[in-house]
Parts: sequence; structure tokens; C-alpha cells
Amino acid sequence: MESTGETSVRQPADAELHRRLVYGDESALAEAYQAYGALVRRVAVRVTRSPGAAEDVAQEVFAQLWSRPYAFDAARGSLRTWLSMLAHRRAVDWVRSEARHRKDARADDSALHAIPDASPGPDETVVDRERSLLLHSALAELPQPQREVVHLAYFAGRTYRQAAVELGIPEGTAKTRLRTALRSLAESLADPPDPALERGA
Amino acid sequence: MTDHDAVRDLLAAWAFGALPPAERQSVPAHLAECETCAAEAARLRETVRLLDGPAMNGTPPPATSDVLSAALGARPAAPRVAAHAAPYAAAVAGVKALLPEAEGRWSTPVVHDWDVHATLAHLLAADEPLAGRLGIAPRVPATPVPEGMSWGEAWDRRTAEVIAHEHGRTPAQTVGDWAAQAAALLAAPEARVPELAARATELMGVRLPVADHYVVRAFETWIHTDDIGRALGLTVPPPPAGYLGQLVRLAVRVLGLALGPAAPPVLFAVDGDQQWVLGSEDEPVHGELALDPVDFCLLVGGRHTPDQVPHRATGDEGAVRNVLERAASLSWL
Repeated sequence: MESTGETSVRQPADAELHRRLVYGDESALAEAYQAYGALVRRVAVRVTRSPGAAEDVAQEVFAQLWSRPYAFDAARGSLRTWLSMLAHRRAVDWVRSEARHRKDARADDSALHAIPDASPGPDETVVDRERSLLLHSALAELPQPQREVVHLAYFAGRTYRQAAVELGIPEGTAKTRLRTALRSLAESLADPPDPALERGA
Repeated sequence: MTDHDAVRDLLAAWAFGALPPAERQSVPAHLAECETCAAEAARLRETVRLLDGPAMNGTPPPATSDVLSAALGARPAAPRVAAHAAPYAAAVAGVKALLPEAEGRWSTPVVHDWDVHATLAHLLAADEPLAGRLGIAPRVPATPVPEGMSWGEAWDRRTAEVIAHEHGRTPAQTVGDWAAQAAALLAAPEARVPELAARATELMGVRLPVADHYVVRAFETWIHTDDIGRALGLTVPPPPAGYLGQLVRLAVRVLGLALGPAAPPVLFAVDGDQQWVLGSEDEPVHGELALDPVDFCLLVGGRHTPDQVPHRATGDEGAVRNVLERAASLSWL
């Protein structure tokens, strides 16, 4: 499971893990998965609402870490936030491509206009589902400094103080970034929806 | 700061559930008496509620092996070999990790007059002597070496020949040949059975057990990977500590041989490793010299000069200087 708290040793630990990934040590891959697999799945399932899709996203994310280790740079951020942001981005891409598929399928079956669109769970309305996708798309587009704090505070369950320590920024800055990020997400709901996610008809 | 300002600052962290317990209690009390903040809080909470979605049923995490085997399918792990060949297996994996970053940048200048493509071609040529000694056929047709040519001249000539040959092919073809030859070296019985690697053979002007020649291959492969990384603006991490130690210990042995038994003795230390007395055993130590393992390897690999390599020294400057210069003179890369 995901470790908590050892923020002071974070960067040396990430750099050492990265070194072993670079040199093809598969036990380093297993350790990364052990530490961050649950976080990656949690992020992906929250966006996709599908354990199967989350599994695909987790596969993609860890395959990317392993086969393109230089895409991660320990000097520019923690492995935790990097994997979390990559999982989120991939999950949003998955949902967008699902939305396109559904739209194509609808065009093919235009005579049968009774097909339900998104597939909301029993506890989620279609409108909420669409607004959620809109928010996650907007989150994926936030500037990286804001996204990092949101990922730590929201997906990884850190307090804003812990997030500040982990990112090496003042607590006030972490608070401000969370506020700027959440406000711009709230405002994105007021804007017209992304056409890719808009329901047909 | 008033209560109002303080709470307003905390609202986003509060909505994300990211407040430490001690700060949580101030929020509801203020929201009960401030409409502005209550409205803002409701708006932010609703945004987070939408991000959350409904609670998902707890699905058990799928078997670990699915994710790991998918990754290992995309890039195989370094093969399991005997301890003497493990640094080379790791160094080869390290090249493969870096190559995707060279895509579209193969003609970036690296060292000498080599670009990335030519550096790979050089590695293909440089692995050849050991491969040949183990009965692995050359990937590029070889031309005969004239009688009496020194190993150094033959080595440079072969590199030039292979680079010229490979520049007529695509980088992917060169990578394919280099990788196939490296895989053959790692699949050879000499990479897996220590007893078979114990016999000494002379390569590149030095007579060493085959096991040590594998370590030499690791050394050179890593130094050139580091060259390519610098050219591409990427920091290549040094090999994991255990492998780095193997490279250091071999280099110290070769350095000791090069200094010979008459050199003024120097107590030589590499950080995190043992200490050695280099030079004459019949005199007291004249000086002490200590280096970081990576800096020592870069000196022996010709990537540091004796003047600028970071080091710590005490005692006889001449004796220390002699060791640094001799270490730098070992470079053939």
C-alpha cells in the first residue's frame, strides 16, 4: 500500500528507485507498483467509473514508467505526483475516446434513439456524470504547480500542510494554489461544456 | 487576520478534505454566521462532490502480475546472469532506457566527431573483441588487420569502419545489431557460469579473466550512455552502487598494475568502498588521495582531467599527481 509521511526522504528515495528502473531492475518496478499502484487505480477509477478501465490505465502508466524511465525526472517532482497526474491524464483520455465511440455508435443507430448515453451508476444522474467529466478534463488542463497540490491533497489524501512539505513550498502557497485550482474548476462548470463530451441530439 | 479572512483562505483545502484536524473546527462555526463564505463553501463542496462521483463498490485490486507483466512485455528486465556479467546486463538495459529519448535526434553531436548514431556504432564495434573471443560472429563484415598494428590502432580503425558502415543504415538497424550482439554476450555460457569466465585472455592490450572483460564492457557502455545523455540534456544516473563498486575495484586493480611496484606509494580511497595502497610496498605511504566513485570512473574513462577531477589529497603532491595522471592515462574510450 501507499506509504505516508516519509516526506523528508522522498527525493533521494525517488532518485534511487529511478536509477534502478533505468538499469532494468524489475524489483524496482514491483516496488513502484507496491507503493503507488493503489493511488493510480484510485485516480483512474474516479475518472472512468470503471474498474476495467482503471486496470487498463494502471497498465499503461506502469508500462510507461518502466519503458520510458527518462520521462520522469526526480529533480522536477515526486514520483507520487508524477504517476498520479499521468494516471489522471490517461483516464481523461480514455473517457474522451469512450465518448467519441458512443457518439459514433449513436450515429450508426440513429433510428434507435432510446439508447442511454453515459452509463451513470444508480446513484449518479446523467447530468452529474457529464459535469464530473467536464471537471476532470478541466483539472487535467490546470497549470502543473496547481495540479500537483490538488493531486496530493485530493487523490493522495494529504493535508495541505503535508502537501506543502512534499512539494517543498510554503504552506500559504499550497493553500493558495488549492484555492485558485478549485475556483477555476468551479468556474469551468459555468462555461459551455466541451463538445467532445456533449451529448448528441 | 480576521476570522473571516482566515476561514476564506481555508475553504478550498476544507472542501478537498485537506485540513489538519486542528483547523477543521473553525470552518463550520464561521459558515453559520457568514453568508458569503457559506455560499462559496457550498459552491466548492459541490464541485468536489461532482469530482468524487458516487462511491464505487469496493472491487478487489486485480492481480499484480497483470500490470507488471504488461510492463515487462514492453521492455524486458535486465537478464539474470552471474555476478561478473550483471553490471554489463544493467548497462545494456541502461542504453535501452535512454534510446527512446534519442528518437528524431540521432545526429546530435556526442563526443569526438560522433553523433548518437555513431556512438551506438562504436559500442557495436567495441563489444566485438569480447564477442569474437567467445565465438560470436561479427555483425559487420571485418577487414583483416595488418601485421604488427597495435591494439589501439586496430581498435580505432575498426570503430571508423563500423561507423562508416552503420551511417549507411538506419539508427534502428544499428540499435538492432548492437542489441543482438549484447544479448548474445549475455546469453553466452561465460556470462552465466563463473568457472567458464575464469580463464584469462588478452583484449585491448590487457590480459584479464573473461569475467573482468565483462566488467570492462559495462564500464565503457555506461560511460558512453552518460555521453549520450549529456548530449540529449538528460542526467544518466550512475549504475546502482553494487555494480559501480565492481567497476571501481577493477579500475583500481588496473591502475595498480599501470603504476607498477616502484611508484611512490599512495593510500587511495574511493568513497563508500575500501582503501588500497598503490605503488611500492617497501616504503611508507607518501600521500593520501580520496575520490567519489563516479568521479574516479569518469577520470579513468577520460571524462575528467587530473586537473579538474574533484578529489581530496594530503601529503606528497607529486605522488598524488602521479596517481591521478596514471588513472587518466588508462582511458581508451
